[in-house]
Amino acid sequence: MSRYITRLRMRRTYKWNGRPVGEDRKLKRKYYESMSISVEGKTEDATVSSGQYILIEGDDDDNPFVAQLHKLYTDDSGKKKTAVVQWFVRMCEVPQNKRKLLGRDPHPQEIFFYQDRSCDNEVDGETILGAVQTAPATPRTPRHATPSIPSRSAPARKPGNVLEEARARLHVSSVPESLPCREQEFQDIYNFVESKVIDGTGGCMYISGVPGTGKTATVHEVVRSLQQSAEQDEIPHFHFIEINGMKMTDPHQAYVQILQKLTDQKATPDHAAALLEKRFSAPAPKKETTVLLVDELDLLWTRKQNVMYNLFDWPTRRNARLVVLTIANTMDLPERIMINRVASRLGLTRMSFQPYTFKQLQQIITSRLNRVKAFEEDALQLVSRKVAALSGDARRCLDICRRATEICEHSGSQKNGSGLVGMSHVMEALDEMFSSSYIAAIRCASVQEQLFLRAVIAEFRRLGLEEATFQQVFVQHQALCRVEGLQPVSVSEGLAVCQRLGSCRLLLLEGSRLDLFLRIRLNVSQDDVLYALKAD
Amino acid sequence: MSSHGHRTIRMFNVLHISCLEDVHTSVSWAAERPLLSVHIFTPEIRNVAGRKYLSLWREITGSTLVTMSKRRSLTEAQCVSLAQKLLRERLCHQKLPDRPLALDSQYKHLLELLRRTAVHGESNSVLIVGPRGSGKTMLLGCVLRELMSLKEAQKNVLLVELNGLLQTDDKIALKEITRQLHLENVVGDKVFGSFAENLAFLLEALKKGDKSSSRPVVFVLDEFDLFAHHKNQTLLYNLLDVSQSAQTPVAVLGLTCRLDVLELLEKRVKSRFSHRQIHLFSSLSFAQYVDAVRSQLSLPPDFPDPKFSDAWNHSVTKLCEEKSVEEILRRHFNSSKDFRSLHSLLFLSVSRVSVSHSTLHEADLLEASRLISADSKAIILHGLSILELCLIIAMKHLNDTYDGEPFNFQMVHNEFKKFIQRKSHSIHKFEKPVVMKAFEHLLQLELVRPVDSGVCKVQREYQLMRLMLEHGQVMEALQRYPQCPTDVKQWALSAFA
Repeated sequence: MSRYITRLRMRRTYKWNGRPVGEDRKLKRKYYESMSISVEGKTEDATVSSGQYILIEGDDDDNPFVAQLHKLYTDDSGKKKTAVVQWFVRMCEVPQNKRKLLGRDPHPQEIFFYQDRSCDNEVDGETILGAVQTAPATPRTPRHATPSIPSRSAPARKPGNVLEEARARLHVSSVPESLPCREQEFQDIYNFVESKVIDGTGGCMYISGVPGTGKTATVHEVVRSLQQSAEQDEIPHFHFIEINGMKMTDPHQAYVQILQKLTDQKATPDHAAALLEKRFSAPAPKKETTVLLVDELDLLWTRKQNVMYNLFDWPTRRNARLVVLTIANTMDLPERIMINRVASRLGLTRMSFQPYTFKQLQQIITSRLNRVKAFEEDALQLVSRKVAALSGDARRCLDICRRATEICEHSGSQKNGSGLVGMSHVMEALDEMFSSSYIAAIRCASVQEQLFLRAVIAEFRRLGLEEATFQQVFVQHQALCRVEGLQPVSVSEGLAVCQRLGSCRLLLLEGSRLDLFLRIRLNVSQDDVLYALKAD
Repeated sequence: MSSHGHRTIRMFNVLHISCLEDVHTSVSWAAERPLLSVHIFTPEIRNVAGRKYLSLWREITGSTLVTMSKRRSLTEAQCVSLAQKLLRERLCHQKLPDRPLALDSQYKHLLELLRRTAVHGESNSVLIVGPRGSGKTMLLGCVLRELMSLKEAQKNVLLVELNGLLQTDDKIALKEITRQLHLENVVGDKVFGSFAENLAFLLEALKKGDKSSSRPVVFVLDEFDLFAHHKNQTLLYNLLDVSQSAQTPVAVLGLTCRLDVLELLEKRVKSRFSHRQIHLFSSLSFAQYVDAVRSQLSLPPDFPDPKFSDAWNHSVTKLCEEKSVEEILRRHFNSSKDFRSLHSLLFLSVSRVSVSHSTLHEADLLEASRLISADSKAIILHGLSILELCLIIAMKHLNDTYDGEPFNFQMVHNEFKKFIQRKSHSIHKFEKPVVMKAFEHLLQLELVRPVDSGVCKVQREYQLMRLMLEHGQVMEALQRYPQCPTDVKQWALSAFA
């Protein structure tokens, strides 16, 4: 194709820079790293080297082609210079009907990667005009971002006195040297997992117990000591992975997380399920046993229960070598939410963690404190008894003790030379955490708010019901205002008072659009309200 | 500095500097222009940084006098507008107070807790519970301000602020957390990845950290109770779980006005919460309340014109002692103790101050109180026509007769007709369609509402309605209604229809 060139072409001369960096004997080529271009009338030479973006003579001088230079070579004779390039196209070169695929407006100078085999990617080296600067137009999706929190400028301060030391040890997060009071459960789980690992078989176990009874901690402890014995080659090595139903957005994400932790592969839930299915069914003689901990099992419930089904079905495969330990709060979960074929695969290996008794709680605190003398004996007993009576939750127990040390620290300066956490501190902490705040809230409410509560009770008594409309209560309220010698409030003000009580849930309000016919119920017992108001 | 600022200078030959950044720009600007004096209105300008700028100023502008406001007093108009600006900032909560009022123990508790997180890397969780307007956000703001002024905490603490009204589900909340923490999957202001990926990424990041070397993260969850309504309470579980395990130190602060907030938490979420609650109940006495009013209205000692501020403060003190003012305040105090409603009262009164009326008067407070405690429906009633008012009275009578049972238009019309027959001379006899139109207007104003909002096939005249007015509201409106015919008044007062 010959074109009539209107403008005078400037003369360019091309020269290799340096020596060839490589040679291909078969094709008789010599490769160069860069090339310099000198233009007539210009003093400075332009240099292009591989990796750079370059401009190449195009159909017209104003719009040269853009490409990325990959290789530069010369043939046998050493005369012909050739460049291997990756082509880029401008928006105007993209076919009209494909432009909308971009989904946004392009920058006028934006270029796009051109992937088409039909276009020759070798060009005459002497058509190169020069190098060009490129800048990324849009931020690139970070594919390999590492999850991390920035580190602090100076390390955290270490505990300075006995109370601070005690507080650090009592924090739920601090990992204790040993787990007291769960010896039996520890042994049972240990034996179960150990036997499966040694035999190279699989199995399921269901562990239940109310929150804060040490289920997850015990399993972690078991795995830690099993890993220790595996390191000493007493038992075969195994792979431990852990998932938590609460730490995923959807039950099917379980597959994704298991696969990622097993093989470091990323996949969609469906694909991950298929890969795992294959992995656990295919025979592989040298496979390690996998111990899988599934925490908060009830969250993995789906309508077809296929996630649970798979989790319990894989261990039964001959070649799976999978041990599944599942944890949930309720004892009868398998009966309650699982269909027969799922429950049957879960099997009957079950264990339930009983809430801690007061003696156990006491032992837990003592072992955590580990001879740091910060508490009086009586104080510890009080906390343990109180918590054991309420929930048996070790976390609660530790948190109360921690709070008690703070209270002790604040009051310590005034009295009590011993500096130990005593009964009074613990009592105060218990009070803070367990006492209902409703009574305090009523006592601190404004006069009109208190009157309104009284009006509610008066109206309930009159009606003999536990629900009244705002209008009914308001009439009572007006009457009470007159009795108390206060100026009656307007409906708007009365409604505002009512809404305030509703927003802190002393009252339960229904149908706020109903205005005067707003339905009112008490969220506290009538006796509590009267008690709080009488003590005033 | 704004061009507006420059114009002021030309007019008064005085340069107002209201924030520290302004000083910097104005120093170079003023170097070329002779100025008489400089007025500096920020408290921070009085400290070291301020003095540094002043000396710099003196150097650049040579012999130009630099005064701290005493050299040339402001005009009265300037004083008034400045005082108003100061008070408005205070009353609209644009500036945190120096110290939260009457919340000392709570302040100490929270500060100590956050200090331990910042300095020792101890994880904590706490709920701040108090009625609306009791100062939860203000308390937190003051505590965070002090925390950030500690040298050890300053560059270590990462703050993430969420609000239950904005982050309405965990997906949005997670994106927001990731964005505020500037994790590595954030580019510019965009967070990449799906919900599941974001959760996994954040948990992984928090898990990698540890107590002594990672920066502590303070999570503030405003309207905490709304987060408890998110699906499975995933976010709360995970944040609280981190706070109870050996990972990145975090402090989870929840702000809520619901007393029953713990009952909203699932068992396993609740177990992970430390059960620390800071209650903000106001145990303010009336005397303290009046004191607070006085201090809220007083001008600070560093007000540029001491003469004006003395006079103002004196008038405020006098005002608070007045009997009628005390009565107004007592009424407000009885209704609600929170400062937010007090501030709206004071704001309205301060807005009435002007150059010709340069101190607060009793009448201002009275008017503001009248505006605030006015009944919204009574105001609407004043704008009704006589016919509409008659219909309201007819409905009131129906309510009395049938003990609040719903009525329909036909009944109201009959009642109205009976009245017209008795008093035909005092009121025009309206056609039924006209009365219907008036009735529909009342319906539009929502003074009357249909009983069931569902689609009903009943003819309009027979649709059951309820009156949305209290007995007292109707009577009061009649009393105040301008030139209400006596017959109508009497009809309303009569026990029978």
